[in-house]
Amino acid sequence: MSKSSSQTGGLSRRTLLAGTASLLASPLVVSSAGAQAKPVNIGVIMPLSGANAQFGINSRNGIELVADEINTAGGIKALGGAKINLIVADATSTPTTAGTVAQRLITQNEVTAILGAFASSLTIAISEVTERRDIPLLTMSFADQITGRGYKNIFQVVAKASAIGKAQFDYTAAIAQASGVKIDKIAIMYEDTAYGTAQAAGLRAGAKAANIEIVMDDAYPLGITDTTPLINKLRASGAQAVFPVSYLNDSLLLIRTMRQQRITMPAIGGAAGYVIPDFEKGLGEFAEGVLSIAPANYDLAPDLTERFRKRYGYFMVHEALEHAVALDVLVQAIEKAKSAKAEDVAMALRGAKFSGGWTKAMTGGAVEFDATGLNVLSVPVMVQWRKKELVTVWPKDVAKGTADWKS
Amino acid sequence: MSFLQAILDGLLVGGVYAVISIGLTLVYGVMGIVNFAQAEFLMIGMFVAWFAWAYLGLDPVLAAPLSFAVAFGIGWLVQGQLIARVLKAPSVAQIFLTVGLLIVLENGSLLLFGSQFRSVTTSYQTMSLSLGPLFISVPYLIAFGMSLACGLALWWFMRTSWFGRAMRATAQNPMAAQLMGIDTALMYKIAFALGVGLTAFGGAVILPYVTVFPGVGGQFVVLMFTVVVLGGLGSVAGAVVGGLAVGVIQALSSLFFPIQLQNLFLFLVFILVLAIRPQGLVGASR
Amino acid sequence: MKRWIVIAVVLAVACLLPLTLNPTGYWIRVLTFTLLFAAMAQAWNIIGGLANQTSLGHAAFFGIGAYTSTILLLKFGISPWIGMFAGGLLGGVAAFIIAIPTMRLQGHYFALATLAFGEVMRVIANVWTPLTGGPGGLSVPFVPPSLALYSFKQLLPHAYIALAALVVVTIIFEVIRRGAMGYRLRAIKENPAAAEVIGIDTTKVKLQTAVISGVLMAMLGTLYAQVAVFFDPDTVFSAAAISVRVALIAILGGVGTAIGPILGALFIIPLEELMNDLFSSGAAGLSQLIFSAILIVVILWQPRGFVTVFDKMTARFSGDISDKDRP
Repeated sequence: MSKSSSQTGGLSRRTLLAGTASLLASPLVVSSAGAQAKPVNIGVIMPLSGANAQFGINSRNGIELVADEINTAGGIKALGGAKINLIVADATSTPTTAGTVAQRLITQNEVTAILGAFASSLTIAISEVTERRDIPLLTMSFADQITGRGYKNIFQVVAKASAIGKAQFDYTAAIAQASGVKIDKIAIMYEDTAYGTAQAAGLRAGAKAANIEIVMDDAYPLGITDTTPLINKLRASGAQAVFPVSYLNDSLLLIRTMRQQRITMPAIGGAAGYVIPDFEKGLGEFAEGVLSIAPANYDLAPDLTERFRKRYGYFMVHEALEHAVALDVLVQAIEKAKSAKAEDVAMALRGAKFSGGWTKAMTGGAVEFDATGLNVLSVPVMVQWRKKELVTVWPKDVAKGTADWKS
Repeated sequence: MSFLQAILDGLLVGGVYAVISIGLTLVYGVMGIVNFAQAEFLMIGMFVAWFAWAYLGLDPVLAAPLSFAVAFGIGWLVQGQLIARVLKAPSVAQIFLTVGLLIVLENGSLLLFGSQFRSVTTSYQTMSLSLGPLFISVPYLIAFGMSLACGLALWWFMRTSWFGRAMRATAQNPMAAQLMGIDTALMYKIAFALGVGLTAFGGAVILPYVTVFPGVGGQFVVLMFTVVVLGGLGSVAGAVVGGLAVGVIQALSSLFFPIQLQNLFLFLVFILVLAIRPQGLVGASR
Repeated sequence: MKRWIVIAVVLAVACLLPLTLNPTGYWIRVLTFTLLFAAMAQAWNIIGGLANQTSLGHAAFFGIGAYTSTILLLKFGISPWIGMFAGGLLGGVAAFIIAIPTMRLQGHYFALATLAFGEVMRVIANVWTPLTGGPGGLSVPFVPPSLALYSFKQLLPHAYIALAALVVVTIIFEVIRRGAMGYRLRAIKENPAAAEVIGIDTTKVKLQTAVISGVLMAMLGTLYAQVAVFFDPDTVFSAAAISVRVALIAILGGVGTAIGPILGALFIIPLEELMNDLFSSGAAGLSQLIFSAILIVVILWQPRGFVTVFDKMTARFSGDISDKDRP
């Protein structure tokens, strides 16, 4: 030990080395002091910047709500009360970056599973990584490709895009019929990203199967700033109902322009922009009565979903709900596997059914994955805006209110 | 019939495109710099107007002068501190300075304001006037009117005021202007600040029908650049002509081609003009 | 002599470095993309640096390469190695087509025109669904590992392929720069009229440069597709994530120099990753903000890029003022 350091009272090299060594070693040392079980790392990869940031934040909120509930109730019982530790990261809007983020969480944080990433393209990119590294990925993205590749580590809690699109049409026809109205001609308008395109395909299939004439079928660029050409075309088309699949900006533009041109035909939205609070805030009274398909809705289990509204101040939007369910299912799988190892959890998820807890908020009151990872119990629901709230109006067995068909 | 409606809609919307784009062309005309961050000032103008609506209850159209003022101030600082330093630098440095500015402004507003989409509700948003069988959207009409007023004000300023003439002189020949006693550095500041201020003004005016979020500038970049290139980079009259032309082209193309290809059409026009007549419809051959 | 020793040492380190990383981990992936983007920036550097034409549309070639090889693989089972050359060919054709109308344009105009071309390609890929899969994107099929089919279980081989690509593109860059074409390009940059007078066919030279740059960029698109495995039109034809980024990397590092793109990529990509790691969950957008602020600072105070700092450091280190011929 050099004289100078002991005189100045500074750190001697030996102390510094010893201190650094213990600091480096501490994660490797099992904390035997307390009865604290090692927390379970769960990755949450959402778009937190870019155009989908709002949805990413909603999703994260849903997950955090459930994580906190579980942790407060004592953590994961099968692992000795291990707490859930959410590792949240920004997927950005580039799929390749989302994949790199997933790889980082897997390698550096040793996550047991990943939840994410709202947008199908991001989810697909992440799934390419998780499938190769055998980490389970739970999602509410619904592009058909997600469960269509024979991957073993992907688990989707809602119905597929084609099913949602088809339901968007089928339910409408049923509701119209129940009100004594027959629809022969419909118009489809959709924003041209993966989401709009996939759902429009489902709509088309539904209409074709019912032999209904599609008099207008137009994609539009996502950032469209002037929808008058679309609405002009709609007016001239002779359609009796219009099925727009949009995000928020375009949904507001479309509905407002329709109003300006005094087009009163029913509009049945395709989820996304049509089922968030901002839709109603933007349109006020003109949101009343607008129908939309949705993968899930909060009024199916108000005792659970009202907790979200209490904490965050707005109703539990479907992406928040579905992610909450996903986390609940994941934790149930961890309990079932009695292990936080990714492959054990994946095995517990595969082809399994989960009930109780937040799964009650999904249609069928439970979640059951088939061999492709799809939740076969999830059925889309038709919701309608009533006094600033979304009320489920179809199918009849889950409806909380009667569908009001405004012609 | 739909032809006439399309032309009418195109002209209304085009007037707004003109006001948004005048700033871009003014900046290029006076300083020779394409401000790639111009659309971000549109976003700034929209946010200012939104906050004025949310907290002061001001109609966005009335808040437009406020948007102008805020953007003018920011533009003044940006020009003095950043743009001025690259006026003599190679074009690659100029391009990337404004590209960097674009990213800074967009992400800065993401950090400050968050990602959610904000829209305003006004009494006239869903109203329209009838001109025979034609519809005239009231928000578009008001936006067009404001744009016209703004355009006339700019024209009057450039024609009659000393500053306006000094700026035109600087644009024509900076050396000669300096020799005449014009403080060209000041002119550049005014031109830039005025340019971004005008774009911000346009932003406030379109807020009734466009939702604002940090990335909204990206939706208008194509339009703005097509407008100024079509009209002629550097020509204010060209921006007006270009704006109206782009509005009408966009509306008419939707009659004959899928709406999804709207932007493609604009890009092709853009490229054709650059290839065949880079000085645009109105601009003089340089 | 000293320079060759330095290059040899650096290459040796570069070859050994991937072996020290976890082959299925995170850092190998970051390294692979760093090397890939360095190569892409170097391909851009041929036009942006040597020909002094700031292209903001290089994503057009990149996407063409990625889509060509992947479509050939998906539809006809053709190996991406072959698809890469097919993509390169198409990229060269595209570069030729784009170069013709834009050649006479200068500075800002050229940037705008190339930006438009990149966006045109993006829209085409988005709407031509039967060919490109449309907005849903394409996935390179998850096949068993096979060298012939360019499929590997780990990322390690991808890292080496990216390194090899970077070396090849850099060699091509240097060959052009030091050769007759480089001389002609410098002459054109100095004074296009004078260059014509002394007999340089400016049109032919510019076209050649454009095509070389386009071919290389397209081939790199295939490499990217094989690593990223999934992509859509917004990923590979992106103005912000590809076109602007590769130009930015080259500029920050030192446009027109061989080492510029390498330095730029080594700085930017790991830094972006670090920022995402530290800040993304708390403050979205912070990393991009800091990053572009650095860009502005560099442009204002060190417009030649990091390479000037690097030069100063190595000059001090090796003790000589070497004749690094910069443009």
